[in-house]
Amino acid sequence: MRLGLTHMGSIDVAVRAMARELGVDLVIPPPTTQRTLSLGVKYSPETVCLPFKLQLGNMIEALELGADTLVMPGGPGPCRFGYYHKVHELILRELGYKFHMVTQDHGILYIVKCVTNGASTRKVITAFRFGIAKLNTLEEVERMVHKMRAVEWDKGEATRIYRESIKAIDNAADYGALRQAKQEYLHKLMSLPTITSPAPLKIGVTGEFFIVIDPFANMDIEIELGKLWVEVRRPTSAGEWVKLNPFIHALKLQEKDKAHRAAMPYLSRHVGGDGLQSVGEKVLHARDWDGIVHLEPFGCVPEIMARNIMLSTKEGCPVLNIIYDEHTGKAGVISRLEAFIDMLHRKKKRQVEICV
Amino acid sequence: MIKIGIPRALLYYQYYPMWQTFFHELGAEVVVSPPTTETVLSSGSSRVVAETCLPVKLFLGHVLSLIEKCDYIFIPAIRSVQSKVYNCSKFLGLPDMTKAVIPESPPILDIDIDINKGKRKLYQAIYQLGRHFTWNPSKVRRASIAAWQAHLNYRQVMSDSGLTPPQAIEEISGTPKPEPKTHSSNPTSPQATVAIIGHPYLLYDEHISYRLIHRLEQAHNRVLTPEMLTTQELESAIARLVGRAYWTYEEEVVGAGEHYLKSGADGIIGIMAFGCGPDSLMMDMVRRQAARLRTTPFMSLTLDEHTAEAGVVTRLEAFLDMIYRKKRKQVEICV
Repeated sequence: MRLGLTHMGSIDVAVRAMARELGVDLVIPPPTTQRTLSLGVKYSPETVCLPFKLQLGNMIEALELGADTLVMPGGPGPCRFGYYHKVHELILRELGYKFHMVTQDHGILYIVKCVTNGASTRKVITAFRFGIAKLNTLEEVERMVHKMRAVEWDKGEATRIYRESIKAIDNAADYGALRQAKQEYLHKLMSLPTITSPAPLKIGVTGEFFIVIDPFANMDIEIELGKLWVEVRRPTSAGEWVKLNPFIHALKLQEKDKAHRAAMPYLSRHVGGDGLQSVGEKVLHARDWDGIVHLEPFGCVPEIMARNIMLSTKEGCPVLNIIYDEHTGKAGVISRLEAFIDMLHRKKKRQVEICV
Repeated sequence: MIKIGIPRALLYYQYYPMWQTFFHELGAEVVVSPPTTETVLSSGSSRVVAETCLPVKLFLGHVLSLIEKCDYIFIPAIRSVQSKVYNCSKFLGLPDMTKAVIPESPPILDIDIDINKGKRKLYQAIYQLGRHFTWNPSKVRRASIAAWQAHLNYRQVMSDSGLTPPQAIEEISGTPKPEPKTHSSNPTSPQATVAIIGHPYLLYDEHISYRLIHRLEQAHNRVLTPEMLTTQELESAIARLVGRAYWTYEEEVVGAGEHYLKSGADGIIGIMAFGCGPDSLMMDMVRRQAARLRTTPFMSLTLDEHTAEAGVVTRLEAFLDMIYRKKRKQVEICV
């Protein structure tokens, strides 16, 4: 079995660690590029969302490299995502590829058995834990990167160190090496020369999960914000998705649950996808964030619902909405970010003047 | 008497007789918003972000036209009416969204319908809705049984006599049109049989579908609609094409599409709203199937508020010409 992977942010680091541990033959397609997108767009239905197209492109590239098994999570729910695996499979079969598609329809145990090459439960658990540890480490470094990008003297240094750290974390073979890599890179980041005043703006990045997580899909929005001296706060992360801590789950202390509670007065039901969370983040962080950049793929129904409701919450916070599809240009995104940041600076200055 | 407003959009076409009976039994009066006009549509679209889909904009327009005509507006949040099959986000968020974008609307009566949570929750939800009118649980129970009966009767009328939802609603409420015309009672033999697939809220809203059914009938075609199929026919067609249904109201698209592709239609017209999440995949499934079978021509029309009547009519005429030509050729070959 050769397992093909689709990209989503740096989730491949975790998956590679698990595969190494379990001896699974993993086919990682080349990082998402314009070619991936073009392939995806060419064979997708016209109005499906960008994540569908990117993942289809990834799958084609993985199959070209000889993968014969694909995994696609999905299941019943209001968001289209749950149905994507079926359409993906149909399209790929029509293109003449031969492969085995493992989906949630087969049951979660079957997925685990299938992708782990039938390893023992104990081995699977160890591998998963290590993979998740890598994700968590990456996240910690990432949070520091978000802080440093806003204040660093040489723009681009933090990003460079971050890229190095991904490689180092990817190469770490055990927990010790992982801890060492983390400390090393956190230290490197902290010792970057910085500018301390004025305090950077804090901007939250929320919206649809895939677009928020994947730097190709969102056109490196975090780096661009960093260049504009902005500290990015991003509550969603790939690690949160798989965190296996039943205690925190039960107490509903996760960011996601907090956001859901905060959204209740305005949206009392799940609308699928991350709609409820997007509303909640705005309500929750209206005071401690200076603004929100809300990202969504074009045609995302849950986020459209969220956006309609976000407009009229009592808790006011400036929101810039950016909608991505295959025609989005990076220059357009940057201009809009610049204008938004200018507006926030002006707003902040006026508030200071009023106080004086 | 309490007046309940029901917008003439979205699920109105599926459930109106049921809702009407329920509220009537509880001693309330039901007010339905007038048929769609351009003003209704544009007032609705002005309230929401641009990407919102056409049916939702239309729905909000109807809510706006009900303001000051009723004491409450009834907007159910139907999450699931079938085990493990969920509804599109727009139906789930509808009450909250209406509250957010139309703050001046009368109080909204909402009810969560989710079969997956069990019967008990469903009964509780219905009772809670009934409590706005009466404290007597048995009265609510009686009203809901009567409502369910009305719904079954409505479905029966549609599949038996081949009426469209608006015609069936008229017949049930006892105000038949001066000339009750069904599709089958067309005097001259039809030129072709054309099936229309899509959601009732698009097909039967004469304003946004540009009276497509009427136009087809005027050109002496027999029109088939999803409502003319029985539940069994739809279910078996869905099982053939996609296996398990994923969204609640998609049998009108996939089930009917697959059924008519295989039997009974000379051509199929699929109607969807621009930016519709479920239809973007489901209509594509039907299109792919049509391409694979290569027997029945298929045309997909995507509607939004910028769609022009002339464009729709031109495409319709071209499609019909193609069907006629194909039929003529077949006859010539046989001769």
